[in-house]
Formats: sequence, C-alpha cells, structure tokens
Amino acid sequence: MVAEGAIRAGCRFFAGYPITPATGIFKAMIDALPARGGLALSAPDEISAIAECIGAAMRGYKAMTATSGPGWALMIESVQYALMTETPLVIALVQRLGPSTGGATQGAQGDLLLAEHATSGGYTIPMLAPSNARECADLTEIAFAWAERLRTPVVVLSDKEVGMTTERVDFTDGSSSPETYAVGTNGNNGTYYFNRPGDIPLFTAVGGATRVIATGSAHDKRGKLQKNSPETIDVLRHLEEKIRLRAHELEIVVEDIQPEARTLVISYGVTSRAASSAVRLARDSGLNVSHLSVKSLFPLPYAALDRALKGVESVIVPEENLTGQYRRIIAPYIGNRVLRGINKIGNMISPSEILRAIRVTP
Amino acid sequence: MNAPTPTQTRQRSYFVDNVQFPFCKGCGHTQVLRRLDEALSALNTPAEQIALVTDIGCIGLADGLFRDIHTVHTTHGRSTAFATGIGLADRVLAGKDLRVVVLIGDGGAMIGLQHLVHAAMLNVPMTVLICNNFVYGMTGGQGSGLTPERFITATTPDGNITPPADLCAILTGSNAQFVARTTTSDTNFPDIMRRAFASPGFAAVEILELCTEYAVPKNELTGKMLAGIAEQNGWALGVLRENASRAPFHVRYAEAVRTSATPKVREHGFSSAPHAHQLAGPVSIVLAGSAGERVQSSAAALCEAAIASGLYVTQKNDNPVTQGSGFSLSEVWISPEPIQYTGIERPDIVVAASEAGLRELTSRGTMASVSDDTVFVVDESLAVSMRTRKLLPLSLRKSLGPKDAALGGLLAACHEKNVLPDETLALIARYRMGDRAKVCEGMVFSV
Repeated sequence: MVAEGAIRAGCRFFAGYPITPATGIFKAMIDALPARGGLALSAPDEISAIAECIGAAMRGYKAMTATSGPGWALMIESVQYALMTETPLVIALVQRLGPSTGGATQGAQGDLLLAEHATSGGYTIPMLAPSNARECADLTEIAFAWAERLRTPVVVLSDKEVGMTTERVDFTDGSSSPETYAVGTNGNNGTYYFNRPGDIPLFTAVGGATRVIATGSAHDKRGKLQKNSPETIDVLRHLEEKIRLRAHELEIVVEDIQPEARTLVISYGVTSRAASSAVRLARDSGLNVSHLSVKSLFPLPYAALDRALKGVESVIVPEENLTGQYRRIIAPYIGNRVLRGINKIGNMISPSEILRAIRVTP
Repeated sequence: MNAPTPTQTRQRSYFVDNVQFPFCKGCGHTQVLRRLDEALSALNTPAEQIALVTDIGCIGLADGLFRDIHTVHTTHGRSTAFATGIGLADRVLAGKDLRVVVLIGDGGAMIGLQHLVHAAMLNVPMTVLICNNFVYGMTGGQGSGLTPERFITATTPDGNITPPADLCAILTGSNAQFVARTTTSDTNFPDIMRRAFASPGFAAVEILELCTEYAVPKNELTGKMLAGIAEQNGWALGVLRENASRAPFHVRYAEAVRTSATPKVREHGFSSAPHAHQLAGPVSIVLAGSAGERVQSSAAALCEAAIASGLYVTQKNDNPVTQGSGFSLSEVWISPEPIQYTGIERPDIVVAASEAGLRELTSRGTMASVSDDTVFVVDESLAVSMRTRKLLPLSLRKSLGPKDAALGGLLAACHEKNVLPDETLALIARYRMGDRAKVCEGMVFSV
C-alpha cells in the first residue's frame, strides 16, 4: 500500500535493495512501474539505491526507496545529502527488530530516533507513521506532497506488523498526480535562493532550462562552496527554519478526546491499533480516557499535543522499544504531568497491557 | 550526437571567463579539466544539456570553474550513483539525452567502486573521468587502493607494500562499453577523450596524473614517468574496451517493457459471489502446517472470501527465515467491524495440519492459550491432548493429501464455528481444489 500511495502521488522512479520487511514495496514497484512508463531499479546496495533516487529527483522526477533498519543505517549519508541539497525524496522505513541484523521478521518501533536524528546538526526530518494498510497509502501520498513543498527528504515510518499484515482496504485507484516536481525558476538568483530564511527556494531540475548548482557542501544561496560566510550560515539556518515555520500546517493526528478524561494515551504506528482497542475497553468499563494517535511524528504536532493535554494529569506512551523513544521526545512538552511508558520488544503491545496501565493510573 | 552544424555557433569553452584553477602548481587536475573542456567544446553540446557530477576531493572543486552547465557536487565515492539516477531518469522517464560527466579521484573510485561497477553493468550513458594521482590529496597525501607498489605516501611512509587494483580491468569485467587508461602527458589523451565522449553508453577513462603537493616530493616522479609506473604496476594503457554494439540501458529497457506481458490484476477465483455472512463478532484463527503445503495461501483464500462477504480481515504469516522448510503459519482475524489489534491472545480456532505446525504452535505458546471454547482441528496422526471441549481429529493428510490438509482443517473449523455459511466454504473448497473438493466437502460438513 506504500507503493499504491507512491504511484498515486506520481512516483515513477524507485531504486531498492531487498530487505525484510520492506521487500514488498520493492516488489510492488517492480511490478507496477514499467507499465506506467516508470522505472524500478534493482540497486546493488542501499547506498546506491538512495543515491540513484536522489539523482532521479534532482532530474525532476518523484522518487522513492524503501528499506529497514540495517539499510537505513547505510542510507544516512545520502539522506543528509538530500537534506543539504534540498532535494525532495520519500524513504519508506519499515522497522524490524534491532540492533544490527536483529530479527528480520519481527516488528519493532526502534528506529524512530535513528531516523529522526540522522543528520549532523540534528535537522528535522519530517516523518509520517501509518498504523494500517490504508494509512500506508494515504500517508505516503502526503509524504510526496511534503517532500515537494518543503524540498526535503521525508520518511514514512512503518514496521513489520503494519507492512506485512494483509488486511481489507477499501481503496479505488485515484488521482493521477504529475510525475515531476513543479519547476520554478529563481532566475539569476541561484539554485538555493530565498528571501526570508523560512522561504523555500523554487525547485529547478538538473537538465532543465535553468542552470542548477547543487552541492552537499556548505554553500551560499547560489550553491557556491563557502566556508562560514554569513550567507552560508543563513542557508544552514534556513534548512531548519523552512520546516519549523510550517510545523503547525503539517500536523496529522487522530484525536479521540474525552473532555473529562484525566488520562491521555499517546500512540503511533502499529501501537495505535492496540491503544484504540484499549481505550474502547476502558470506556466500556466506565473509565474516562483520551487518545491521541499521532500520524505526523515530526515536526512534532505541538498544537494537537496542547489540545489533547488540556485537563490531563497522566500521560501513557506505549511503544515497541525499550527506551521510550517518542516519550523522550514529548517529555519536555507535557509540563508536570505524570508520564509513563509501556515498553516491550519481541511482541506487539496488546490492548490488555495498555488497559492495565490506564486502570492503575492515579 | 550534437555534431556541429554550419548554423550553430561553435562553443569555444565552457569555462568561466579568465578561469583560475584552484589547484597546486603542476597538478594534473588542471590538464584533465582543459582536455574535458576541449572534448565538450568539440561536441558543441548546449550548456544546459550537460550535467557535471563531481566527487569529493580536489577534483570536486571543478564545479566552480564552469559556466552555464549544471553541476552537482556530491558525497565521497557516490558521484557515479547520483549520476546513474540523473542519467536514467533523463533517458527513461524524460526521453532526453542529457550529457552526464562524472569527475572522481582514485580515493572516490575505490570507496564508490560498487557504483562504478553498477553503472558499467547497466550501461548508463555517462563519461566518468577517474583522476588517479595515487594519493588522497585533500586530506594530506594518504595512500589509496590505486597507489602504486613501493610508493611513499603519508600512510605508507616506508613504501606501499600492497599492489594496487587494476580499476580498468574491474570495469572491463563489469561489461563497461568503453574503458581506457591514459596519462596527462600522453599525446593520445585528447583522442582517447574524444572516443570516450563518442561512446553512446558508459565510458570510463582512468587518467594517471601528478599530485605535485604530496606524490611528487616523496617519490621520484615526473609526468614522463607516468607511463612507466603504469607498466610497473601491470596497468595497460590506451583504449582497453570499445564495445560499440552493446545497447545502453534505456534502449534495452524500452524493448523489455514493450515486449513484456500486460500486468495482471489478481482477482479472487470464486465461481460465484459468496453468500451473505451472519458473523456476529470477531473470530481469531491460527492455522499451522508445513512449508510448501499451501498453508498461507489457504488462509488467504478464506480471507478473500470473507472480504467478498462484506467482512473485515487481517492476515499475518510466519515461517522460518529459510522460507521453504519447517513450519508455515497464518494468524487471521475475521470480523464484521474494522479490526484494530491484530495479535491473538486467545484463539477461537486453531488448526494443526502437520507435525511441524504442531511443534510451532507449542513453541510460540498458542497451545497454552487454547481455552475451553477454542475449536481445535488436528490431523488424526498428531498426538494432542487439550483442555478444549472441541478437539476434532480429522483424516486431513491421509484423505485430502498434504497439499490440501491445511485448507480442509481450516474449512472444518470454520464450519464448526459458523464463521461463514457452508455455501461459501464450499466455494472456497472448489476454488482451491477443483474436482477434489468433493472429498473435502464430505469431511468438512460431516463435522
């Protein structure tokens, strides 16, 4: 369904390398793209895969690759390059149990921080997390829109349990989006020209009429190598600023709020499914509890978080990792409320485990 | 391609006016870039139809010397992979003929060897110039995989004891369309460049050159000695491969797409629409058997029938990483409502169609989670003592054969638990077994 979403978004270039549990996306693109005039390429490794996608995107075409934790580790250098060169790109990261080779066929939510903090400098990598097959398609389509709008790499973070579970989806082949990124021209101002730091330079394609000077080295607005000039520092600030300024427009959450609830469950990805069930069971037994299922993990959905936290005294974050990766991210924003995690690896967190935590909440 | 015509003004040079090379005095890079500019000028390609993709290192400073052409300065060693993406998108998706040139050093060529090999194998149209000055210049003259034997570098202070790789041999072995090796002082250098640029596919030229800052002071080395170094290290000079008949990737790809069968849309194979279901609540099923005995596809057939009946389903499969041996297992939820949590804590139905399947059910804890109400169908050959009231031993393997045992057990359990109407279960049996469905139906509906 990630592949379906990508195709809907106009993606016609894919380069991949087999890795469980992301191989299904690779295979779906291999099957789908040739007949649509596209190309799905078998790369010799993950570094080649993402670099080829970035090249295609620079040429103006919507491109995607898909991998899991071990492959993502190899791709990080090139993710940074895409970010630095303001190249739109979508990467589907289907998590499996780590560290290292880990468990190829076991689900996990352990790559969130590795994915988000993949850049030197700690720049925001926009990230979307589907909980089911339908959202895989919808959020991938949105990922392409974000990548184009923000001129930056966007991650679709799913996991084995979301990516390899077959389920009923009510879905019709829909929109036919353009296959290329909208091309603008910065005229003689240069490839990375912006007026205010939050502005986004118009995209120009390598091979197009407007000359492109692209570089992963620190550069000025024209793309010229610079070592620490004030303009270069401005460009580096701009890379974060363009996303920070738009954070409020990028919030995608499912809010299931009870105004009288003192307990809030915050979940994402596959764990949102168990959390939904748990919240329903809790309410059936007469408890008040709110649920915020986060789809846009990064940039952090501040406004939705604020709304959901109103009147809440206790926050529960269930995650399939041992250290509470998203819990740590949101901790600074919850004030003096009690923050607890439900953390587990090896198996999905079940509704009854979340329900237990809701019940013992003060 | 783009041969000059009388009406076109010949491009004199792609360099910026009064170009100042940033390289050390005597550095080979300056000569390489001059030959590159001459070769491009001779082709008279419009500047906006040229993309120069550069690697890390001193040669990567070339971008700033050119006017009007597209330049992409990349990461260390990956230049060829980015160029592959640019080139393939241009040829296959845009149907254009952007001229892609890659500049890479000896260090970059070795760290990114895979990308060179891949581009050569695919035969992506591009010209790769590998500037081999035997050292990493920008970081202080360390040795690379292309440093000659006995050469003194910062990291081989007593002389390099490792014979260097033959990069051109690697690329020839990767089916590159054009491969050549030359030196900056070779009189054939311009002619080799001309032939490389005339090649319609992947062309690589390794150019042996001087790093006057690091290589020359520590070694007895002049431009005239480069050919001798090639000989000492077993590096052949000249055009080493020129395979004009090999079609570039986009040509072969277009042909393959044109002649391939139209994509198939998989549809369920039921002879008629399943009957309306009467399922009141969610049902969880664990179906276990052996690899190769159609366990997961049987579960999928049930799921497809359930979806066609208007139900929601989830299916998760499991098997050992070897795929074709050991157990095979499916976990299924069927529900009149959308399904959230897909895990199964207390299964409503368990089917064990083989010994391997039963072992897996035990090891993953499914056997321990069976309750009084669980319908448990097992092949009669398996020794099972359960606390469920509904243990059904059936002659699955003997009567239906190993390939249909899982399906038979699954249908029997669904019949017992009223998951789908018998008419629908019979449709699944006929869809999966054809004429052999009769035996199965007899067994299933007599449960």
